[in-house]
Amino acid sequence: MPPALQATGITKRFPGVLANDHVDFDLQSGEIHGLLGENGAGKSTLMNILYGLYQPDEGTISIVGTPTRFSSPHDAIAQGIGMVHQHFMLVPPLTVTENIILGQESLQPATQFLGQLSALDRRSAAQRIRELSHQYRLDVDPDAHVKDLPVGAQQRVEIVKALYRRAEILILDEPTAVLTPQEADELFVIMRELVKQGKSIVFITHKLREMFAVTDRISVMRGGKMVGTTTPKQATSEMLAEMMVGRQVILQIDKQAAQPGDVILRVGNLQVQDDRHATTVHDVSFEVRAGEILGIAGVQGNGQRELVEALTGLRPVSGGHVALLDHDTTHATPRQITEFGTGHVPEDRHKHGLVLTFPVRDNLVLCTYYESPFARGVEIDEAHIENEAQKLVKEFDIRTPSTGTLVGSLSGGNQQKVIVARELDRPVKLLIVNQPTRGLDVGSIEFIHRRIVEARDRHTAVLLVSAELDEIMSLSDRIAVMYKGRILDTLNAPDATREQLGLLMAGVKGGAHV
Amino acid sequence: MAVLANKQRAIKISSRQILNAVFIGIGAVAVFLVFDAIIGGKCDSKCVIGTLNQAIRYAAPVALAAYCGLMCERAAVINIGIEGMMLTAAMVGYGVNVYAFTWLKAGGMDPALAGDASRWLSLLLAIAASGLMALLHGVVSIRFKADQIISGTVINILALGITGYFYRQYLAQDIPPGPGTFAPFDIPLLAQIPILGPIVFQGQKPIVYFMMIVTLLIHYVLFFTPWGLRTRAVGENPRAADTLGINVFRVRYINVLLGGALAGFAGAWFTLEAVDVFNPQMTNGLGFIGLAAMIFGNWSPFGALAGALIFGLGNTITTTISIFRPDIPSQIPQMLPYVLTILVLTGFVGRAIPPAADGQPYEKQ
Amino acid sequence: MSNLAAERAARTDGRATLLRTLDVLSMPALAMFLGFLGGAIIIWITSGSLETVGAAYAGLINGAFFKQRGFSETLVAMTPYVFLGLGLAIGFKAGLFNIGVEGQFYIGAISAVWAGVAFPGLPAIIHLPLVILAGALGGALWAGIPGFLKARTGAHEVITTMMMNYIAFRLAEFVVSLPLRDPLSTAVQTLRVSPNAELWSLWQIPERLADPLNALGVALFCALCAFVIVRWLAPHARRVVVGGIVFATGAIAFIALPPLVKVWWLFDDQYDRLHIGIILALVAAAVVWWLMYKTTLGFEMRTVGANPNAARYAGINISRNIIVTMAISGALAGIAGTIEVLGVSICRCLPLFFSSGYGFDSIALALLAKNNPIGIVGGAFLWGAMRNGADLMELNSGVSKYIISLIQGLVLLFVAAPAVVRYLLRMRAPSKTEAEAPLTRGWG
Repeated sequence: MPPALQATGITKRFPGVLANDHVDFDLQSGEIHGLLGENGAGKSTLMNILYGLYQPDEGTISIVGTPTRFSSPHDAIAQGIGMVHQHFMLVPPLTVTENIILGQESLQPATQFLGQLSALDRRSAAQRIRELSHQYRLDVDPDAHVKDLPVGAQQRVEIVKALYRRAEILILDEPTAVLTPQEADELFVIMRELVKQGKSIVFITHKLREMFAVTDRISVMRGGKMVGTTTPKQATSEMLAEMMVGRQVILQIDKQAAQPGDVILRVGNLQVQDDRHATTVHDVSFEVRAGEILGIAGVQGNGQRELVEALTGLRPVSGGHVALLDHDTTHATPRQITEFGTGHVPEDRHKHGLVLTFPVRDNLVLCTYYESPFARGVEIDEAHIENEAQKLVKEFDIRTPSTGTLVGSLSGGNQQKVIVARELDRPVKLLIVNQPTRGLDVGSIEFIHRRIVEARDRHTAVLLVSAELDEIMSLSDRIAVMYKGRILDTLNAPDATREQLGLLMAGVKGGAHV
Repeated sequence: MAVLANKQRAIKISSRQILNAVFIGIGAVAVFLVFDAIIGGKCDSKCVIGTLNQAIRYAAPVALAAYCGLMCERAAVINIGIEGMMLTAAMVGYGVNVYAFTWLKAGGMDPALAGDASRWLSLLLAIAASGLMALLHGVVSIRFKADQIISGTVINILALGITGYFYRQYLAQDIPPGPGTFAPFDIPLLAQIPILGPIVFQGQKPIVYFMMIVTLLIHYVLFFTPWGLRTRAVGENPRAADTLGINVFRVRYINVLLGGALAGFAGAWFTLEAVDVFNPQMTNGLGFIGLAAMIFGNWSPFGALAGALIFGLGNTITTTISIFRPDIPSQIPQMLPYVLTILVLTGFVGRAIPPAADGQPYEKQ
Repeated sequence: MSNLAAERAARTDGRATLLRTLDVLSMPALAMFLGFLGGAIIIWITSGSLETVGAAYAGLINGAFFKQRGFSETLVAMTPYVFLGLGLAIGFKAGLFNIGVEGQFYIGAISAVWAGVAFPGLPAIIHLPLVILAGALGGALWAGIPGFLKARTGAHEVITTMMMNYIAFRLAEFVVSLPLRDPLSTAVQTLRVSPNAELWSLWQIPERLADPLNALGVALFCALCAFVIVRWLAPHARRVVVGGIVFATGAIAFIALPPLVKVWWLFDDQYDRLHIGIILALVAAAVVWWLMYKTTLGFEMRTVGANPNAARYAGINISRNIIVTMAISGALAGIAGTIEVLGVSICRCLPLFFSSGYGFDSIALALLAKNNPIGIVGGAFLWGAMRNGADLMELNSGVSKYIISLIQGLVLLFVAAPAVVRYLLRMRAPSKTEAEAPLTRGWG
C-alpha cells in the first residue's frame, strides 16, 4: 500500500535562506511519525508546504500514491490534510462552532440560494461537533467563546476543526510547547486514539523525550536538510541530539553551588490584573537573594507575564508590595526600577526588547541614552555611544556587519545577545529574565545560559522565568512553580524531579488538585 | 441547549445595547431641555417631532459613512478616505444630474421623466465614482501594502484635487439648470404609526430610507451569514482564515468596495438630497465624524447608527438655534457637532475594541 | 586584525550610506515624475489636446521662476510649507499623524493677529518675537489638546485633530468677523498688526536697521548663529575662545551691518514680498534636525514612534511624549500661520474666508521628504513653486489650478506606496529596504 503522504525532493528558498533543501518525507497510513529539529531547521516550512501555505520551488507531493499540487490550504484540506499550528489559528472573539465551521459553513436549507449571504445553520454544526468530540473523546463545548477557553481546550478545538473537515492526515506542529508534561501525556492518549481510528499523524517537536513516548518513526531535520529517519527502538537520546545539532551537545551546564547573600528583591502578597482586568497574579510572595537564581516554572499563561511586568513597572500592581533593596518599588515607574539597579530581558524581544528599525548601537543604549556619558545635557553624545557599542559587540560576540546595522536584520540569536549585552553591562543588582532563549539555536542558548550563570556568580540576584522545564532545571538554584497566578511551591533545585515539577505545573500539590 | 445558549448571547448583546440606548435617551432629553431654554421655550410637540425627523435626515450621511468604515474595518482595512470618497460622489452626483438632465431634455424626453432618470443615473454614477476611489484605496493598501492611514489620506487629497479641478473646469459657471434633488415621500402604512411614523417614515428622501434598510442588512450579513463570519475572521485573525482556505485578499477587496459604495450613497446625499449645488467644502468632515460614530458604536451597525443620530441631533439643534437666536454668532453653535464628536470619541474609545488585525496589511509570507 | 575589521565595517557603512542616500533621493524623484506624468494625462484627457499640457506646464514653470518677482514669490510661498512640513515630520517620527496642522495654522494666525494688535508701540526687538511666540503657543495649545486626549483616553489624533480643524475654522471666522474685525475696512478682515510686529521684507532691511534697537536684535541673532557654528565645528573649544568669537561676531554685526546695507543691498523692489521668514524657516529646519537626531528628546520621540512598547520598557514616559510632540508640531504649524499674517498677507491681517490649503499639501510634502528636515526644505521649495506658478498656468492655458492638488495627491500616492512605483516602472524590489515606522495602529 502506498504511503498516506509522500514528499520527494522538496526545496524551498526564501530571500537569503534555503529553508528546505531536497527534503524527502513520507507518512505511512496509521502511524505517528515524529519530526525532530532545532528552531530554524526547516520543519515548519516543510509542514506549511504540505499544508499548501507555501508552494515548493522544487519537488513533488503525493497522497496515497497520487501526485498532487496544493496551491492553497484549500486544496490540502480537500485532500484530507489537517494541521494544528504551533500558534493556534483560532479567532478568539468567535465561538467554538464559528471557529470550526469557518470556511465550510453549514447553511439554512431555505436560504441556500443566497450563497455566502444565506443564513448560517449553527445548530446542526454544533450537533456535528458534539458527535465528533464524542467519537474521538475530545471534550469541547461548541457554544463557548474561544477567548474564554484554556490552552488545552483550544488545542482540542484545533483538532476537532481538522476532523470536521474530514482530515485523514493530521499535522501537529509543536503541540506540547504550551502543555504541562501531564497534559502532554493526555494529548498522547488522544493521538493514539486517533491513530487507532485510522488517522495518520505527523508530530513535530524539539523535545527528545516526547519522541520516545509516542512516535512509531522519527525523522530529524537540520539546516533545511533531512538528516535521517529511525525508530524509537533503535535510537538513543544522545544519537538524536547529535543528529539534530550536528555535534556533541552538552545537555547540562556546569555551575558551582550558589552562595546566596542579602535579599535583593522582596515580593509580598502581590496581586496583578491582566489587560481584561481579571486578576491573574494572586497573593504571590517570594524573595530573591544576591548570588542565586530563582527559577519560576509553569505553563505559559499562568500569570508569569503579568508578574514580570508588574515587577518591572510595566503593569500597575493592584495589591501587595514589591521591595528592591531598600526601595519600595510597588508603584515605581520602569525608569526608577531600572535606575535602582534592575536589568530586564523581556519575554518578547520584538515587542519590548528592541526597536527593530534602530541601529544596533542605539539599541545597546536604549535604557541609558539619557545618562552620562551617552548624553551631555539635552544632547546625545554619539562618540561615546559608538565606543560602548563597539565594546559590547566584541564582548558579547554579536555578529553584525557594523554597529550601524539595523537590529531588525540580525538573526534571532544575535538580537537576543544585543538585549543581554545591554542589560548585563550595567552594574545590575537584580536581573529579571523572561523566556531568554525562546526560538534560538543551540549555540546562542548555551551562550546566554553561561552569561546568566556568570551574572549570578558576580553576586547578582537572578529571577528566571521560563516555560522550558529543562532550562529551569539546569539553571535555577531554587524553583518556584506558578499555577493559575499562584506560587504553589518552591523547591530546592537539586532535589526537584521532573515529575514533581510537572504535577505542580498541572496544579496538583500533595496528591490533591488545587 | 445550543438554542438556549444562542438566545442568552443574543440577550446579553442586546442588554448592552439597551443600556446604551437608555444613556442616549437621557442625554437626548437633557440636550433638548438646554436647547429649549436657549431658543426660549418655543419648541412644542410638533417642533420636537420635526427636529427628530430632521435629525434622522442629517444622520443619514454620517451613518452611511460609519457603515463604510465598518465594512472596511471588520475586514481589518482602516479607511480614513471616506471623506474623499463622499466628496467625489457628491461632485459626480451633481455634475451627472445637471448634464444628464440637459442632455435627456434636449433628446426630447418629458422633463419630469428626464429629471427622475437623471437623478437615479447620477446616484448610480456617484456610487461608481466612490467605488473607484475605494478600489484605489484597496489596491494601494491591500495589494501594495501601503500604510492604510496614509492611503486614506491619499484618497482625501486626491479627491480634493479631482473635485476642485472638475468643479472649476465644468461646474463653477455657466451650468445649465438641473432637475433638483429627489422628492421626499412617505412609506405607506409605516407612516401611520403614531409618533414613530412622523419621525421616521414621513417626508424623507430615498437615501435616508436606504440608510435604514442597510442598517438591518449589514447586521444580518455580519452576524448571520458565512460572508460575515469570514469577514470577522479576516478582521480578527487573517492567518487563521487563510489556513482554512479563505482568500483574505478577496474578502478585503470586496468589503472595501462595498464600503466605497456606501460612501457613495453618503456623498450623493449632499447633492441629490440635501441641496442642489456642489461646493468643494461641502462634506465638512462628516466622513471623519462617521468614523467616530463607528468607534462609538463598537463596530456594530446599530451602535454606529446611534452615534450618527447623536450627531444628527446636534446638527439639527445647531441649525434651529441659528434660526431662533440670530443674536448668537452663528459660528458658535456651528462648532457644536465637532465638539460633540470629540467628547463622544474620548468618552467611548477606551471601551470600544477594534478588530484585532485592524490596520495591518496581510502578508502571505 | 580588529582594526582591519573596523576599517572594513566603516567602509561598508560608508557605501551603505551612499546607497541609502541614492535610494532616498531616487524614490521621491520618481514619484514627482510620475505625479507630473499623471497630471499631464489628466489635462490631456480633459482638454483633448497635447498643446494644453505644454502650455500648462510652461505656464507653471514661468509663473514659478521667470515671471517678474517669480522666484521670490516662490520663496515666499515656500516659507509656510517649511514650517508645516517640519511640524508634520516631527509628528510622523513620533508615530503621530497630526492631520490638523491646517487648524493649528489658523489658530496660530489669529493668535498672531491678536498679539500684533494688542500691544501697539512695543519695539520690534520685543514685539516681533512676542508675536511669533504667540502664534507658536496658539498652535501648540490647539495641537496639545488632541495630544492630551490621546495620552489620556487613546482617542485617535486623526479624528480629533480633524474635528479641531473645523472648530478652528469657525473660531477664526468668528474672531475675524467680531472681536478683531477692522471697523474701518469694507472687507471683512481683522485689524492690521502693528508695523513693529511685521516680518521685515528684505527691501526694508536698510531702513529697519537704521533703528539701533533693530540692529541690536540682528546682532544678537548673528551672535547666536556664530555660537552654534563654533560649537559644531569645534565641540571641545575653550569657553573663552567661544565667547570671544561670539562677542566679536555680534559686535561686528551691530556696528558694521547698518552702514553696510545702506551702501549696498541686493533688494530694492518695494513690491517684492520676500521677507526674513525664509531665514527663520531655514533656522527652524536646522533646529528640528538637531532636535530629532541629536537630543535625548528626539531619541525618545523616535523610539516612541518606532516601537511604543519598547519605549515604555526603556522607561520613556509615553503620555508626556505624545503631548510634547503634538505641542511642538502644533507650534511649528502656528508659526506658519503667523508668517502668513506677518509676512505674506498684503493687508498684514487675517481676511474672512482665507482658505490656505497649506495643511493638506504639507502632508504630501512631509512624506515626500521622508520626514527629513533637509528634504522638507527642498520639497517645500517645489511645493512653493507649484503654488506660485499655478495662477499663471491657469491664466495661460485655462487649466484649473486645482490640477496642482491632483498632482500632489498622485505624488503622495507614489511616495506612500513605493511598491506601486516599482510595479509601474517594472523595477525590482530592493533586497532590504529601511523599514519605516508604521502609523497605523488602529483606534485602540
